[in-house]
Amino acid sequence: MNLNILHEKKVDGGELLTISGELDAYTAPKLKETILPLVDVERASVTLDLKDTDYMDSTGIGVIIAAYKQSCKRNGTLVVQNLTPRVSRLFDITGLSEIITIDDIKKEETT
Amino acid sequence: MNIAPNRVEIHNEWDIVRARQSGRERAKELGFGHVDQARIATAISELARNIYLYAKHGEIIISVIDGEKRGISIIAEDNGPGIRDLRKAMEDGYTTSGGLGAGLPGVKRLMDDFDIVSEEGQGTKITAKKYLR
Amino acid sequence: MIDHKELYQHYRKLLIEHMERKSEKTLYNGQLFSRQMMENGVSPEDVLSLHIDVIKEFYPHMDEKFQSAFDFLLEAMIGYGLAYREHQNLRYKQRQLESEIDIAADVQQSLLVGEVPHYDFLDIGVISRPAKRMSGDYYHFVKDEQNCLSVAIADVIGKGIPAALCMSMIKYAMDSEPEQRTKPGAVLENLNRVVEQNVDPSMFITMFYGLYNESQHRLYFASAGHEPGFYYSSNKDEFQELIAKGRVLGLDRSTKYREYEKNIDVGDMVILFSDGVTECRTEKGFIERDEIVRLIRQRMHLSSQEIVDGVYKELERLQDFQLRDDFTLIILKREV
Repeated sequence: MNLNILHEKKVDGGELLTISGELDAYTAPKLKETILPLVDVERASVTLDLKDTDYMDSTGIGVIIAAYKQSCKRNGTLVVQNLTPRVSRLFDITGLSEIITIDDIKKEETT
Repeated sequence: MNIAPNRVEIHNEWDIVRARQSGRERAKELGFGHVDQARIATAISELARNIYLYAKHGEIIISVIDGEKRGISIIAEDNGPGIRDLRKAMEDGYTTSGGLGAGLPGVKRLMDDFDIVSEEGQGTKITAKKYLR
Repeated sequence: MIDHKELYQHYRKLLIEHMERKSEKTLYNGQLFSRQMMENGVSPEDVLSLHIDVIKEFYPHMDEKFQSAFDFLLEAMIGYGLAYREHQNLRYKQRQLESEIDIAADVQQSLLVGEVPHYDFLDIGVISRPAKRMSGDYYHFVKDEQNCLSVAIADVIGKGIPAALCMSMIKYAMDSEPEQRTKPGAVLENLNRVVEQNVDPSMFITMFYGLYNESQHRLYFASAGHEPGFYYSSNKDEFQELIAKGRVLGLDRSTKYREYEKNIDVGDMVILFSDGVTECRTEKGFIERDEIVRLIRQRMHLSSQEIVDGVYKELERLQDFQLRDDFTLIILKREV
Protein backbone atom coordinates (compact mmCIF):
# COMPACT_ATOMS: atom_id res chain seq x y z
CA MET A 1 0.00 0.00 0.00
CA ASN A 2 1.56 3.18 -1.16
CA LEU A 3 0.79 6.80 -1.54
CA ASN A 4 2.51 9.16 -3.94
CA ILE A 5 2.17 12.89 -3.75
CA LEU A 6 3.14 15.06 -6.69
CA HIS A 7 3.50 18.72 -5.77
CA GLU A 8 3.33 21.29 -8.60
CA LYS A 9 2.85 25.03 -8.94
CA LYS A 10 -0.05 26.00 -11.13
CA VAL A 11 0.18 28.79 -13.72
CA ASP A 12 -2.01 30.99 -11.52
CA GLY A 13 0.41 30.56 -8.61
CA GLY A 14 -1.74 28.06 -6.73
CA GLU A 15 -0.43 24.79 -5.34
CA LEU A 16 -1.49 21.52 -6.92
CA LEU A 17 -1.14 18.20 -5.13
CA THR A 18 -1.84 15.11 -7.18
CA ILE A 19 -2.33 12.03 -5.08
CA SER A 20 -2.11 8.49 -6.29
CA GLY A 21 -2.47 5.26 -4.40
CA GLU A 22 -4.30 4.55 -1.17
CA LEU A 23 -5.09 7.10 1.46
CA ASP A 24 -5.58 5.23 4.71
CA ALA A 25 -4.44 5.23 8.33
CA TYR A 26 -0.89 4.35 7.29
CA THR A 27 -0.43 6.85 4.47
CA ALA A 28 -2.61 9.74 5.68
CA PRO A 29 0.16 11.22 7.90
CA LYS A 30 2.25 11.69 4.75
CA LEU A 31 -0.46 13.80 3.13
CA LYS A 32 -0.99 15.67 6.39
CA GLU A 33 2.68 16.66 6.54
CA THR A 34 2.59 17.90 2.96
CA ILE A 35 -0.72 19.72 2.87
CA LEU A 36 -0.88 21.43 6.27
CA PRO A 37 2.09 23.78 5.68
CA LEU A 38 0.60 24.68 2.26
CA VAL A 39 -2.78 25.74 3.63
CA ASP A 40 -1.18 27.46 6.62
CA VAL A 41 -0.34 30.48 4.47
CA GLU A 42 -2.54 33.59 4.23
CA ARG A 43 -4.87 33.37 1.19
CA ALA A 44 -3.22 30.23 -0.16
CA SER A 45 -4.92 28.45 -3.01
CA VAL A 46 -4.49 24.69 -2.83
CA THR A 47 -5.94 22.08 -5.16
CA LEU A 48 -6.05 18.42 -4.33
CA ASP A 49 -6.36 16.10 -7.31
CA LEU A 50 -7.65 12.66 -6.34
CA LYS A 51 -8.14 11.07 -9.76
CA ASP A 52 -5.63 8.30 -8.99
CA THR A 53 -6.66 7.78 -5.40
CA ASP A 54 -8.01 4.24 -5.53
CA TYR A 55 -9.00 4.10 -1.92
CA MET A 56 -9.65 6.48 0.90
CA ASP A 57 -10.84 5.75 4.41
CA SER A 58 -12.02 8.00 7.22
CA THR A 59 -8.43 8.89 8.20
CA GLY A 60 -7.99 10.40 4.74
CA ILE A 61 -11.21 12.36 5.18
CA GLY A 62 -9.81 13.55 8.53
CA VAL A 63 -6.73 15.02 6.87
CA ILE A 64 -8.86 16.81 4.29
CA ILE A 65 -11.08 18.21 7.06
CA ALA A 66 -8.02 19.45 8.98
CA ALA A 67 -6.69 21.09 5.79
CA TYR A 68 -10.07 22.65 5.08
CA LYS A 69 -10.34 24.10 8.58
CA GLN A 70 -6.85 25.54 8.46
CA SER A 71 -7.45 26.98 5.00
CA CYS A 72 -10.63 28.73 6.25
CA LYS A 73 -8.71 30.19 9.17
CA ARG A 74 -6.13 31.68 6.82
CA ASN A 75 -8.73 32.91 4.31
CA GLY A 76 -7.46 30.53 1.67
CA THR A 77 -9.23 28.22 -0.74
CA LEU A 78 -9.08 24.47 -0.88
CA VAL A 79 -10.43 22.71 -3.94
CA VAL A 80 -10.71 18.97 -4.36
CA GLN A 81 -10.99 17.57 -7.85
CA ASN A 82 -11.58 14.37 -9.77
CA LEU A 83 -13.13 12.14 -7.16
CA THR A 84 -13.57 8.48 -7.98
CA PRO A 85 -17.11 7.17 -7.37
CA ARG A 86 -16.08 5.49 -4.13
CA VAL A 87 -14.42 8.62 -2.76
CA SER A 88 -17.26 10.78 -4.04
CA ARG A 89 -19.75 8.69 -2.06
CA LEU A 90 -17.62 9.18 1.07
CA PHE A 91 -17.69 12.96 0.53
CA ASP A 92 -21.46 12.85 0.17
CA ILE A 93 -22.11 10.74 3.26
CA THR A 94 -19.87 12.83 5.50
CA GLY A 95 -21.39 16.09 4.23
CA LEU A 96 -17.99 17.27 3.05
CA SER A 97 -19.26 17.82 -0.49
CA GLU A 98 -21.54 20.58 0.85
CA ILE A 99 -18.74 22.70 2.24
CA ILE A 100 -15.64 21.91 0.19
CA THR A 101 -15.46 23.03 -3.42
CA ILE A 102 -15.32 20.00 -5.68
CA ASP A 103 -14.22 20.35 -9.28
CA ASP A 104 -14.62 17.61 -11.78
CA ILE A 105 -12.26 18.32 -14.62
CA LYS A 106 -12.71 14.92 -16.20
CA LYS A 107 -16.42 15.54 -16.66
CA GLU A 108 -15.81 18.95 -18.20
CA GLU A 109 -13.37 17.48 -20.67
CA THR A 110 -15.75 14.82 -21.89
CA THR A 111 -18.76 17.07 -22.29
CA MET B 1 52.27 4.18 33.15
CA ASN B 2 51.51 7.43 31.42
CA ILE B 3 48.47 8.83 33.19
CA ALA B 4 48.18 12.19 31.49
CA PRO B 5 44.81 12.43 29.73
CA ASN B 6 44.83 11.82 26.04
CA ARG B 7 42.89 14.33 23.95
CA VAL B 8 41.67 13.49 20.48
CA GLU B 9 39.99 16.21 18.46
CA ILE B 10 37.16 15.01 16.26
CA HIS B 11 36.75 16.62 12.85
CA ASN B 12 36.41 13.70 10.47
CA GLU B 13 35.97 9.94 10.32
CA TRP B 14 39.70 9.28 10.66
CA ASP B 15 39.59 10.99 14.02
CA ILE B 16 37.00 8.46 15.14
CA VAL B 17 39.53 5.71 14.40
CA ARG B 18 42.27 7.58 16.26
CA ALA B 19 40.04 8.01 19.31
CA ARG B 20 39.12 4.32 19.32
CA GLN B 21 42.74 3.31 19.06
CA SER B 22 43.83 5.60 21.83
CA GLY B 23 41.09 4.28 24.10
CA ARG B 24 41.87 0.66 23.32
CA GLU B 25 45.55 1.11 24.04
CA ARG B 26 44.85 2.78 27.34
CA ALA B 27 42.35 0.05 28.27
CA LYS B 28 44.90 -2.61 27.42
CA GLU B 29 47.59 -0.93 29.54
CA LEU B 30 45.15 -0.80 32.44
CA GLY B 31 44.58 -4.54 32.18
CA PHE B 32 41.06 -4.71 30.68
CA GLY B 33 40.29 -8.02 29.00
CA HIS B 34 39.66 -8.48 25.30
CA VAL B 35 35.91 -8.08 25.44
CA ASP B 36 36.05 -4.99 27.61
CA GLN B 37 38.65 -3.45 25.33
CA ALA B 38 36.29 -3.97 22.43
CA ARG B 39 33.40 -2.52 24.46
CA ILE B 40 35.38 0.56 25.41
CA ALA B 41 36.46 1.07 21.79
CA THR B 42 32.86 0.73 20.63
CA ALA B 43 31.63 3.24 23.21
CA ILE B 44 34.29 5.76 22.13
CA SER B 45 33.33 5.10 18.55
CA GLU B 46 29.67 5.89 19.22
CA LEU B 47 30.51 9.07 21.12
CA ALA B 48 32.97 10.29 18.50
CA ARG B 49 30.52 9.48 15.75
CA ASN B 50 27.80 11.52 17.43
CA ILE B 51 30.18 14.49 17.57
CA TYR B 52 31.14 14.02 13.93
CA LEU B 53 27.51 13.68 12.75
CA TYR B 54 25.72 16.29 14.85
CA ALA B 55 28.24 18.78 16.22
CA LYS B 56 30.84 18.53 13.42
CA HIS B 57 33.69 19.30 15.84
CA GLY B 58 34.48 18.24 19.35
CA GLU B 59 36.88 16.40 21.55
CA ILE B 60 37.28 12.99 23.18
CA ILE B 61 39.35 12.95 26.35
CA ILE B 62 40.55 9.59 27.61
CA SER B 63 42.03 9.35 31.07
CA VAL B 64 42.88 6.85 33.78
CA ILE B 65 40.85 6.70 36.97
CA ASP B 66 43.37 6.03 39.72
CA GLY B 67 41.33 6.01 42.88
CA GLU B 68 39.80 3.38 45.08
CA LYS B 69 38.62 1.69 41.94
CA ARG B 70 40.81 1.77 38.87
CA GLY B 71 39.35 2.28 35.46
CA ILE B 72 39.06 4.38 32.37
CA SER B 73 37.17 7.60 31.85
CA ILE B 74 35.97 8.93 28.52
CA ILE B 75 34.73 12.47 28.11
CA ALA B 76 33.08 13.54 24.87
CA GLU B 77 32.60 17.27 24.60
CA ASP B 78 31.31 19.52 21.84
CA ASN B 79 29.82 22.95 21.26
CA GLY B 80 27.22 21.63 18.84
CA PRO B 81 23.46 22.06 18.77
CA GLY B 82 22.92 20.14 22.00
CA ILE B 83 20.17 17.63 22.68
CA ARG B 84 16.72 19.03 23.23
CA ASP B 85 15.07 16.04 24.83
CA LEU B 86 17.56 14.04 26.85
CA ARG B 87 14.97 11.63 28.14
CA LYS B 88 14.07 10.74 24.59
CA ALA B 89 17.72 10.47 23.50
CA MET B 90 18.32 8.02 26.35
CA GLU B 91 15.33 5.89 25.37
CA ASP B 92 15.83 2.53 23.72
CA GLY B 93 14.65 2.27 20.16
CA TYR B 94 14.99 6.00 19.60
CA THR B 95 17.82 6.71 17.26
CA THR B 96 18.33 9.28 14.56
CA SER B 97 21.21 7.47 12.90
CA GLY B 98 19.32 4.24 12.38
CA GLY B 99 21.61 1.91 14.33
CA LEU B 100 20.15 -1.02 16.22
CA GLY B 101 20.97 -0.88 19.90
CA ALA B 102 23.45 1.88 19.26
CA GLY B 103 23.26 5.51 20.31
CA LEU B 104 23.54 6.83 23.84
CA PRO B 105 21.68 3.97 25.57
CA GLY B 106 24.20 1.65 23.90
CA VAL B 107 27.13 3.62 25.31
CA LYS B 108 25.52 3.53 28.73
CA ARG B 109 25.23 -0.25 28.52
CA LEU B 110 28.82 -0.72 27.41
CA MET B 111 30.20 1.30 30.31
CA ASP B 112 29.66 1.25 34.09
CA ASP B 113 28.96 4.94 34.69
CA PHE B 114 27.31 7.40 32.39
CA ASP B 115 26.55 11.08 32.79
CA ILE B 116 25.32 13.63 30.29
CA VAL B 117 24.89 17.38 30.39
CA SER B 118 23.47 19.15 27.37
CA GLU B 119 22.21 22.63 26.71
CA GLU B 120 20.32 23.38 23.54
CA GLY B 121 22.42 25.59 21.28
CA GLN B 122 25.48 25.32 23.51
CA GLY B 123 26.72 21.78 23.34
CA THR B 124 26.94 18.44 25.04
CA LYS B 125 29.30 16.89 27.55
CA ILE B 126 29.16 13.16 28.15
CA THR B 127 31.25 11.35 30.76
CA ALA B 128 31.42 7.57 30.65
CA LYS B 129 33.50 5.37 32.93
CA LYS B 130 34.40 1.73 33.11
CA TYR B 131 36.09 0.06 36.07
CA LEU B 132 38.38 -2.92 36.31
CA ARG B 133 36.77 -5.85 38.04
CA MET C 1 24.08 -13.71 36.92
CA ILE C 2 26.27 -16.75 36.54
CA ASP C 3 29.78 -16.60 37.82
CA HIS C 4 32.31 -16.13 35.03
CA LYS C 5 34.52 -19.00 36.17
CA GLU C 6 31.61 -21.37 36.38
CA LEU C 7 30.51 -20.31 32.92
CA TYR C 8 33.98 -20.85 31.57
CA GLN C 9 34.24 -24.34 33.04
CA HIS C 10 30.85 -25.30 31.70
CA TYR C 11 31.50 -24.02 28.21
CA ARG C 12 34.97 -25.56 28.20
CA LYS C 13 33.56 -28.96 29.09
CA LEU C 14 30.90 -28.83 26.37
CA LEU C 15 33.30 -27.58 23.74
CA ILE C 16 35.93 -30.23 24.51
CA GLU C 17 33.29 -32.94 24.42
CA HIS C 18 32.28 -31.77 21.01
CA MET C 19 35.80 -31.44 19.66
CA GLU C 20 36.65 -34.95 20.80
CA ARG C 21 33.46 -36.81 20.09
CA LYS C 22 31.66 -34.64 17.56
CA SER C 23 28.08 -35.89 17.50
CA GLU C 24 24.55 -34.57 17.24
CA LYS C 25 24.28 -35.03 20.99
CA THR C 26 27.21 -32.73 21.73
CA LEU C 27 25.77 -30.15 19.34
CA TYR C 28 22.42 -30.42 21.06
CA ASN C 29 24.21 -29.63 24.34
CA GLY C 30 25.48 -26.47 22.67
CA GLN C 31 21.94 -25.45 21.83
CA LEU C 32 20.78 -26.03 25.39
CA PHE C 33 23.74 -24.01 26.61
CA SER C 34 22.78 -21.05 24.44
CA ARG C 35 19.29 -21.06 25.85
CA GLN C 36 20.67 -21.08 29.37
CA MET C 37 22.97 -18.17 28.47
CA MET C 38 20.07 -16.13 27.13
CA GLU C 39 18.00 -16.79 30.23
CA ASN C 40 20.87 -15.38 32.24
CA GLY C 41 21.25 -12.34 30.02
CA VAL C 42 24.69 -13.29 28.70
CA SER C 43 25.57 -11.31 25.57
CA PRO C 44 26.79 -12.89 22.34
CA GLU C 45 30.19 -11.22 22.70
CA ASP C 46 30.61 -12.85 26.11
CA VAL C 47 29.96 -16.26 24.62
CA LEU C 48 32.46 -15.56 21.87
CA SER C 49 34.97 -14.43 24.46
CA LEU C 50 34.55 -17.73 26.35
CA HIS C 51 35.15 -19.53 23.09
CA ILE C 52 38.34 -17.61 22.38
CA ASP C 53 39.64 -18.24 25.88
CA VAL C 54 39.07 -21.99 25.65
CA ILE C 55 40.72 -22.17 22.22
CA LYS C 56 43.69 -20.20 23.50
CA GLU C 57 44.07 -22.63 26.39
CA PHE C 58 44.27 -25.49 23.95
CA TYR C 59 46.36 -23.78 21.34
CA PRO C 60 48.62 -21.42 23.27
CA HIS C 61 50.72 -20.88 20.18
CA MET C 62 47.84 -19.90 17.95
CA ASP C 63 48.81 -18.38 14.67
CA GLU C 64 48.83 -14.57 15.00
CA LYS C 65 46.60 -14.05 11.98
CA PHE C 66 44.15 -16.55 13.40
CA GLN C 67 44.15 -14.64 16.66
CA SER C 68 43.48 -11.36 14.81
CA ALA C 69 40.58 -12.97 13.02
CA PHE C 70 39.00 -13.76 16.39
CA ASP C 71 39.53 -10.17 17.53
CA PHE C 72 37.77 -8.98 14.42
CA LEU C 73 34.80 -11.25 15.07
CA LEU C 74 34.65 -10.10 18.68
CA GLU C 75 34.47 -6.49 17.55
CA ALA C 76 31.67 -7.31 15.15
CA MET C 77 29.72 -9.09 17.89
CA ILE C 78 29.72 -6.11 20.26
CA GLY C 79 27.03 -4.46 18.13
CA TYR C 80 24.93 -7.61 18.19
CA GLY C 81 25.28 -7.71 21.95
CA LEU C 82 23.96 -4.16 22.21
CA ALA C 83 21.05 -4.91 19.92
CA TYR C 84 20.32 -8.02 21.99
CA ARG C 85 20.24 -6.13 25.26
CA GLU C 86 18.17 -3.36 23.77
CA HIS C 87 15.76 -5.98 22.57
CA GLN C 88 15.49 -7.46 26.07
CA ASN C 89 14.72 -4.05 27.48
CA LEU C 90 12.19 -3.22 24.79
CA ARG C 91 10.45 -6.51 25.41
CA TYR C 92 10.16 -5.66 29.05
CA LYS C 93 8.75 -2.23 28.17
CA GLN C 94 6.33 -3.77 25.74
CA ARG C 95 4.97 -6.06 28.42
CA GLN C 96 4.49 -3.03 30.67
CA LEU C 97 2.65 -1.13 27.95
CA GLU C 98 0.50 -4.10 27.14
CA SER C 99 -0.64 -4.48 30.69
CA GLU C 100 -1.42 -0.76 30.77
CA ILE C 101 -3.48 -1.11 27.60
CA ASP C 102 -5.28 -4.13 29.04
CA ILE C 103 -6.37 -2.06 32.01
CA ALA C 104 -7.45 0.81 29.75
CA ALA C 105 -9.40 -1.61 27.56
CA ASP C 106 -11.20 -2.94 30.64
CA VAL C 107 -12.08 0.59 31.70
CA GLN C 108 -13.37 1.28 28.23
CA GLN C 109 -15.41 -1.90 28.14
CA SER C 110 -17.11 -0.90 31.35
CA LEU C 111 -18.02 2.45 29.74
CA LEU C 112 -19.10 0.98 26.45
CA VAL C 113 -21.11 -2.02 27.33
CA GLY C 114 -24.46 -0.78 28.37
CA GLU C 115 -27.31 -3.11 28.92
CA VAL C 116 -29.40 -3.83 25.88
CA PRO C 117 -32.97 -3.14 26.95
CA HIS C 118 -35.62 -5.77 26.54
CA TYR C 119 -38.94 -5.15 24.82
CA ASP C 120 -41.75 -7.47 23.79
CA PHE C 121 -42.30 -5.60 20.57
CA LEU C 122 -38.68 -5.28 19.53
CA ASP C 123 -35.95 -7.87 19.07
CA ILE C 124 -32.54 -6.25 19.44
CA GLY C 125 -29.18 -7.74 18.43
CA VAL C 126 -25.77 -6.07 18.87
CA ILE C 127 -22.19 -6.99 18.24
CA SER C 128 -19.22 -4.66 18.68
CA ARG C 129 -15.62 -5.79 18.25
CA PRO C 130 -12.49 -3.63 18.27
CA ALA C 131 -9.89 -4.08 15.50
CA LYS C 132 -7.15 -3.70 18.09
CA ARG C 133 -7.56 -3.76 21.83
CA MET C 134 -9.57 -0.60 22.20
CA SER C 135 -12.50 0.54 20.14
CA GLY C 136 -13.42 3.81 18.47
CA ASP C 137 -16.95 2.57 17.89
CA TYR C 138 -19.67 3.45 20.31
CA TYR C 139 -23.28 2.46 20.70
CA HIS C 140 -25.89 2.96 23.31
CA PHE C 141 -29.50 2.14 24.03
CA VAL C 142 -31.67 4.04 26.44
CA LYS C 143 -35.20 3.11 27.41
CA ASP C 144 -37.25 6.01 28.72
CA GLU C 145 -40.43 6.34 30.78
CA GLN C 146 -42.69 6.50 27.73
CA ASN C 147 -41.34 3.17 26.52
CA CYS C 148 -39.39 4.93 23.80
CA LEU C 149 -36.03 3.55 22.84
CA SER C 150 -33.17 5.79 21.84
CA VAL C 151 -30.40 4.12 19.93
CA ALA C 152 -27.07 5.66 18.95
CA ILE C 153 -24.18 4.33 16.97
CA ALA C 154 -21.01 6.36 16.52
CA ASP C 155 -17.68 5.86 14.88
CA VAL C 156 -14.63 7.88 15.83
CA ILE C 157 -12.16 8.33 12.98
CA GLY C 158 -9.19 6.03 13.21
CA LYS C 159 -8.87 3.24 15.70
CA GLY C 160 -7.04 2.19 18.80
CA ILE C 161 -6.23 4.37 21.78
CA PRO C 162 -6.77 7.88 20.33
CA ALA C 163 -10.18 6.89 18.99
CA ALA C 164 -11.06 5.23 22.29
CA LEU C 165 -10.19 8.36 24.28
CA CYS C 166 -12.38 10.42 22.01
CA MET C 167 -15.16 7.91 22.33
CA SER C 168 -15.17 8.28 26.13
CA MET C 169 -15.78 11.99 25.64
CA ILE C 170 -18.81 11.27 23.47
CA LYS C 171 -20.13 8.90 26.05
CA TYR C 172 -20.05 11.58 28.75
CA ALA C 173 -21.48 14.24 26.47
CA MET C 174 -24.38 11.90 25.69
CA ASP C 175 -25.01 11.13 29.35
CA SER C 176 -25.13 14.79 30.27
CA GLU C 177 -28.09 15.76 28.13
CA PRO C 178 -30.99 13.45 28.91
CA GLU C 179 -33.70 16.03 28.26
CA GLN C 180 -32.99 16.22 24.53
CA ARG C 181 -33.07 12.53 23.86
CA THR C 182 -36.43 12.80 22.20
CA LYS C 183 -35.10 15.05 19.42
CA PRO C 184 -32.45 13.30 17.36
CA GLY C 185 -31.52 16.46 15.44
CA ALA C 186 -30.98 18.44 18.64
CA VAL C 187 -28.88 15.67 20.18
CA LEU C 188 -26.52 15.75 17.21
CA GLU C 189 -26.37 19.55 17.20
CA ASN C 190 -25.27 19.57 20.83
CA LEU C 191 -22.71 16.83 20.35
CA ASN C 192 -21.39 18.62 17.29
CA ARG C 193 -20.61 21.68 19.38
CA VAL C 194 -18.86 19.57 22.02
CA VAL C 195 -16.75 17.79 19.44
CA GLU C 196 -15.95 20.96 17.50
CA GLN C 197 -14.62 22.61 20.65
CA ASN C 198 -12.69 19.76 22.13
CA VAL C 199 -11.20 17.69 19.42
CA ASP C 200 -8.15 17.92 17.19
CA PRO C 201 -9.09 19.34 13.75
CA SER C 202 -8.33 16.11 11.92
CA MET C 203 -10.41 14.03 14.32
CA PHE C 204 -14.09 13.64 13.59
CA ILE C 205 -16.96 11.46 14.56
CA THR C 206 -19.88 10.09 12.61
CA MET C 207 -23.08 9.24 14.40
CA PHE C 208 -26.54 7.92 13.77
CA TYR C 209 -29.12 8.74 16.39
CA GLY C 210 -32.59 7.27 16.40
CA LEU C 211 -35.65 7.32 18.62
CA TYR C 212 -38.13 4.48 18.38
CA ASN C 213 -41.58 5.50 19.52
CA GLU C 214 -43.52 2.48 20.68
CA SER C 215 -47.04 3.94 20.54
CA GLN C 216 -46.57 5.07 16.94
CA HIS C 217 -44.11 2.37 15.92
CA ARG C 218 -42.18 5.03 14.17
CA LEU C 219 -38.45 5.67 14.08
CA TYR C 220 -37.29 9.28 14.23
CA PHE C 221 -33.67 9.65 13.26
CA ALA C 222 -30.85 11.90 12.19
CA SER C 223 -27.33 11.23 10.99
CA ALA C 224 -24.05 13.06 11.25
CA GLY C 225 -22.22 11.70 8.23
CA HIS C 226 -22.67 8.13 9.40
CA GLU C 227 -22.54 5.21 6.99
CA PRO C 228 -26.21 4.73 6.00
CA GLY C 229 -27.88 1.72 7.52
CA PHE C 230 -30.63 -0.41 6.01
CA TYR C 231 -34.35 -0.58 6.44
CA TYR C 232 -35.99 -3.90 5.66
CA SER C 233 -39.60 -3.75 4.62
CA SER C 234 -41.33 -7.06 5.29
CA ASN C 235 -44.29 -6.01 3.17
CA LYS C 236 -42.21 -5.54 0.06
CA ASP C 237 -39.55 -8.02 1.19
CA GLU C 238 -36.80 -5.62 0.25
CA PHE C 239 -33.84 -3.83 1.80
CA GLN C 240 -33.57 -0.07 1.36
CA GLU C 241 -30.86 2.37 2.33
CA LEU C 242 -31.78 4.26 5.46
CA ILE C 243 -30.82 7.60 4.05
CA ALA C 244 -30.22 10.58 6.30
CA LYS C 245 -28.05 13.50 5.35
CA GLY C 246 -25.88 15.44 7.78
CA ARG C 247 -22.32 16.58 8.27
CA VAL C 248 -19.90 14.66 10.45
CA LEU C 249 -19.55 15.91 14.03
CA GLY C 250 -16.74 18.39 14.47
CA LEU C 251 -16.74 19.79 10.95
CA ASP C 252 -18.67 23.02 11.36
CA ARG C 253 -20.06 24.32 14.61
CA SER C 254 -23.30 25.77 13.24
CA THR C 255 -24.46 22.59 11.52
CA LYS C 256 -28.19 21.80 11.75
CA TYR C 257 -29.34 18.22 11.51
CA ARG C 258 -32.48 17.27 9.67
CA GLU C 259 -34.79 14.81 11.33
CA TYR C 260 -36.22 11.92 9.32
CA GLU C 261 -38.90 9.39 10.19
CA LYS C 262 -39.95 5.95 9.13
CA ASN C 263 -42.91 3.77 10.01
CA ILE C 264 -41.92 0.36 11.23
CA ASP C 265 -44.35 -2.50 10.56
CA VAL C 266 -44.34 -5.93 12.10
CA GLY C 267 -41.41 -7.91 10.68
CA ASP C 268 -39.54 -4.79 9.57
CA MET C 269 -35.89 -4.38 10.49
CA VAL C 270 -33.57 -1.45 11.07
CA ILE C 271 -29.92 -2.32 10.53
CA LEU C 272 -27.20 0.02 11.74
CA PHE C 273 -23.46 -0.41 11.50
CA SER C 274 -20.07 1.28 11.59
CA ASP C 275 -17.88 1.54 8.50
CA GLY C 276 -15.82 -1.34 9.84
CA VAL C 277 -18.59 -3.49 8.41
CA THR C 278 -18.59 -2.00 4.92
CA GLU C 279 -14.83 -1.46 4.81
CA CYS C 280 -14.22 -5.16 5.25
CA ARG C 281 -11.52 -6.14 2.83
CA THR C 282 -10.95 -9.55 1.39
CA GLU C 283 -8.55 -10.85 -1.21
CA LYS C 284 -11.16 -10.13 -3.86
CA GLY C 285 -11.66 -6.53 -2.76
CA PHE C 286 -14.13 -4.74 -0.56
CA ILE C 287 -17.27 -6.29 0.75
CA GLU C 288 -20.06 -4.51 -1.06
CA ARG C 289 -23.18 -3.42 0.73
CA ASP C 290 -25.14 -5.96 -1.31
CA GLU C 291 -23.04 -8.67 0.23
CA ILE C 292 -24.02 -7.52 3.73
CA VAL C 293 -27.66 -7.62 2.68
CA ARG C 294 -27.17 -11.13 1.34
CA LEU C 295 -25.59 -12.28 4.61
CA ILE C 296 -28.49 -10.85 6.61
CA ARG C 297 -31.10 -12.26 4.27
CA GLN C 298 -29.67 -15.78 4.67
CA ARG C 299 -30.30 -15.52 8.42
CA MET C 300 -33.60 -13.67 8.56
CA HIS C 301 -35.40 -16.57 10.24
CA LEU C 302 -33.08 -16.24 13.24
CA SER C 303 -33.18 -13.86 16.19
CA SER C 304 -31.52 -10.45 15.81
CA GLN C 305 -28.63 -11.47 18.04
CA GLU C 306 -28.09 -14.65 16.06
CA ILE C 307 -28.11 -12.64 12.83
CA VAL C 308 -25.46 -10.13 13.96
CA ASP C 309 -23.29 -12.89 15.44
CA GLY C 310 -23.58 -14.92 12.25
CA VAL C 311 -22.78 -11.97 9.96
CA TYR C 312 -19.78 -11.06 12.10
CA LYS C 313 -18.43 -14.61 12.02
CA GLU C 314 -18.81 -14.78 8.26
CA LEU C 315 -17.09 -11.44 7.66
CA GLU C 316 -14.34 -12.28 10.12
CA ARG C 317 -13.67 -15.47 8.22
CA LEU C 318 -13.70 -13.70 4.85
CA GLN C 319 -11.01 -11.34 6.16
CA ASP C 320 -8.81 -14.15 7.46
CA PHE C 321 -9.66 -13.21 11.03
CA GLN C 322 -7.96 -9.84 10.80
CA LEU C 323 -10.25 -6.91 11.40
CA ARG C 324 -8.99 -3.74 9.75
CA ASP C 325 -11.39 -1.48 11.55
CA ASP C 326 -13.63 -1.55 14.60
CA PHE C 327 -16.81 -3.46 13.84
CA THR C 328 -20.28 -2.71 15.20
CA LEU C 329 -23.55 -4.10 13.87
CA ILE C 330 -26.99 -3.51 15.37
CA ILE C 331 -30.30 -5.00 14.28
CA LEU C 332 -33.74 -3.95 15.54
CA LYS C 333 -36.64 -6.13 14.43
CA ARG C 334 -40.27 -5.32 15.22
CA GLU C 335 -41.94 -8.43 16.60
CA VAL C 336 -45.53 -7.39 17.30
